[in-house]
Amino acid sequence: MAADGVAGGGRAARAVSFTRAVKSYGAVRAVAGMNLEIGRGETVALLGRNGAGKSTAISLLLGLAEPDAGTVELFGGPPERAVRAGLVGAMLQEARAVTRVTVRELVAFVAGRYPDPLPLGEVLELAGIGELAGRRVDRLSGGQTQRVRFAVALAGNPSLLVLDEPTAALDVEARRAFWESMRAYARGGRTVLFSTHYLEEADVHADRIVVLDRGRIVADGTGERLRHSAGGALVAFDLAGRGTAGLELLPGVRSVEVRGDRARLRTDDSDATVIALAGLGAIRGLEVAPASLDDAFLALTTGPTAHATDPTAHATGPTAQTTDPTADPADPTAPATDPAAQAREGETV
Amino acid sequence: MWDYLRLEVRRTLRDTGFVIGGIAMPVLMYLLFTNIGDDDGSWRTASMVGMAAYGAVGSALNTGGGVAEDRSLGWLRQLRATPMTSRQVVIGRALTGAVTVLPAICAVLLAGGLVNGVRLAAWQWAATALLLWLASIPFTLLGLGNGYGLTAQTTGVVNMVCNLGLAVLGGLWFPVALFPHWLRAVSAYTPTNRVSQLGVAVAGGHAPTAGAVAVLTVWLLAFGSYAVLAYRRNAGSI
Repeated sequence: MAADGVAGGGRAARAVSFTRAVKSYGAVRAVAGMNLEIGRGETVALLGRNGAGKSTAISLLLGLAEPDAGTVELFGGPPERAVRAGLVGAMLQEARAVTRVTVRELVAFVAGRYPDPLPLGEVLELAGIGELAGRRVDRLSGGQTQRVRFAVALAGNPSLLVLDEPTAALDVEARRAFWESMRAYARGGRTVLFSTHYLEEADVHADRIVVLDRGRIVADGTGERLRHSAGGALVAFDLAGRGTAGLELLPGVRSVEVRGDRARLRTDDSDATVIALAGLGAIRGLEVAPASLDDAFLALTTGPTAHATDPTAHATGPTAQTTDPTADPADPTAPATDPAAQAREGETV
Repeated sequence: MWDYLRLEVRRTLRDTGFVIGGIAMPVLMYLLFTNIGDDDGSWRTASMVGMAAYGAVGSALNTGGGVAEDRSLGWLRQLRATPMTSRQVVIGRALTGAVTVLPAICAVLLAGGLVNGVRLAAWQWAATALLLWLASIPFTLLGLGNGYGLTAQTTGVVNMVCNLGLAVLGGLWFPVALFPHWLRAVSAYTPTNRVSQLGVAVAGGHAPTAGAVAVLTVWLLAFGSYAVLAYRRNAGSI
C-alpha cells in the first residue's frame, strides 16, 4: 500500500473503497465479500433490512472493526488514518445520550478534536438545536438527542459524513428538517453515506442507493435503475380458474405471483405481456402499474435461501407462493451488480 | 486531552452520587466515628487519614464506573470515530481519577483541622494530602480495570465491594487494633491498610515505612497490569 499521506497522494482517491471485505461474528457473515466505491461528493444510501449488514459495514468503514479478509480504505488509506486526520464524522446507531454535559459543552468538545471545525453556532443551527445549547443532553427527548448526535457528527466539518440510521427516532417534521440539513451539508462537496431501512428516504435523499442483503450488495444504482432492475411494471389479472402454467414464459415476464385468484406478473415489457395475455383470452380485471421501489426492494432481497436463513423473511409472505424464474442464484441481482461481484458470490454461497 | 480531562472532571463533579458517596459520606462518617464515645485524640488523626483514604479510594474507583457507563452509552465508541487516539482517552481518564480524588481528601482533612481540632504542622498537612493523593493511583487503575473489563452494572457492584471490603479490611473505618490477630495479619497486606499507615506516619511526624511503600508498589503493579489486560481484551469491542 502506498505510504502517501491522506491529504497528499490520496487526493484523487475515492472517499470510500471496500475491496472484497469480509467480516464475520461467530458463524454469521455480517459482511460477506463487499465491493463498493464511493466517489467524493456523492450522497449514498445503504439500504437493507435489519441484520442485512449495514452497521457492520459502517463499523468497518470507520475502522471500529477490522475486516477478516479484503480491505477497506477511506481517501486512499486505512480508515484509522482518515479518522485521525479529522476527515470523518459519524453518527453511530447504538449511541445514547452522553450524561451530565450540556449540548454546547458536548458539541464544542467534539469540534475541538478536529483541525478545521465548523463554528459552533453554525453546527447547532444546522442540526436545529440552537435553542437547546444550554440544556443537558441526558434530559432531552429521543428526537432531540438524535439531533445532538447529528451535531456531533457535523461538528468537525468532516469531508465524509457517515450516518447510521439517522432518522430512526424522528417524527415527520423533524425528519424533513433533518434531511434539509443533510442536503445543505452535502452541497459543499462533502461525501455523505447514510444507512436506512426506509425506501422512500433512500430514493428521495440519495444520489445512489446501495442495497445490502445478508452481507452482500445486491443492487447499486439510482432509485430509477433499481425499479427497472426489478421489472418495469406489474400486470395483474383475475385467473378465473385458469391455471398459471406457462405464464412465466410470456414475453417480458420475469416473475409470476399468485394471490388468491389473482395473478401478478412482473414484466420488463408490459405492452408485450398484455398483448400476449389478450391472445390467451386471459384479460379479466386487468391492471397495469409501474413497479414501486418496494417491489424492487423485495425482488432484490428475497433470494431463494432467504426463507431458510432469515427470520425477517416473513415480511415477504406473499412471495412464498411465487413461481420465480429468478430462482437461479446468478440472476436476481444481474442487472445491478458488477460481474466480478457476481462471480465471487457464486464462490461464497 | 486536557479538554477531555476538563470535560470528564466536570461530568464527575455533576454526579450527585459521586458528590454524596465520594465526598460527603467520608466527611460525615469521620465526624460521626470520632465524636461518639471517649477518645484520646489520636483516633481523631488516624481516623481523619483513614476516612480521607476511604473517600479517595471510592473516588478513584468511581473513575472506572464512569468508563463502564461511557462504554454502555456508546460514548467511548463515538470518541473512536473522532481524531482522538485511544491512548489520549485512556490517559485522560486516568488523569480524571487523579483530579477527582482530591475533593474527598481535602474535605476530610479540612473537617479534621476545622471541626475536630487536629493540629499538624503545615508541611505535615501538605505531605499527608500528597501521600494520600499518590497512594490513590493504584485504586484508579483498579477502577479502570473494572470499567474496561466488566459491564456497567457489574462494575458498579464490584467497585462497591472493592471499596467497602478494602476500607474495612484495611482499617480505614475501625482501628486495626480491634481486629482479631489473624485478621490483623491479613490487613497488613491490603493496600488500604498501607495507605493509612503512610498517612498516619507522616501526620505523626515520622517518615513513611519501607514496608508500606513496598506493599503499595506491589499493588500498583498488580492493579496496573489488571487495567492493561482488561483494556486490551475489550478495546476492540468499545
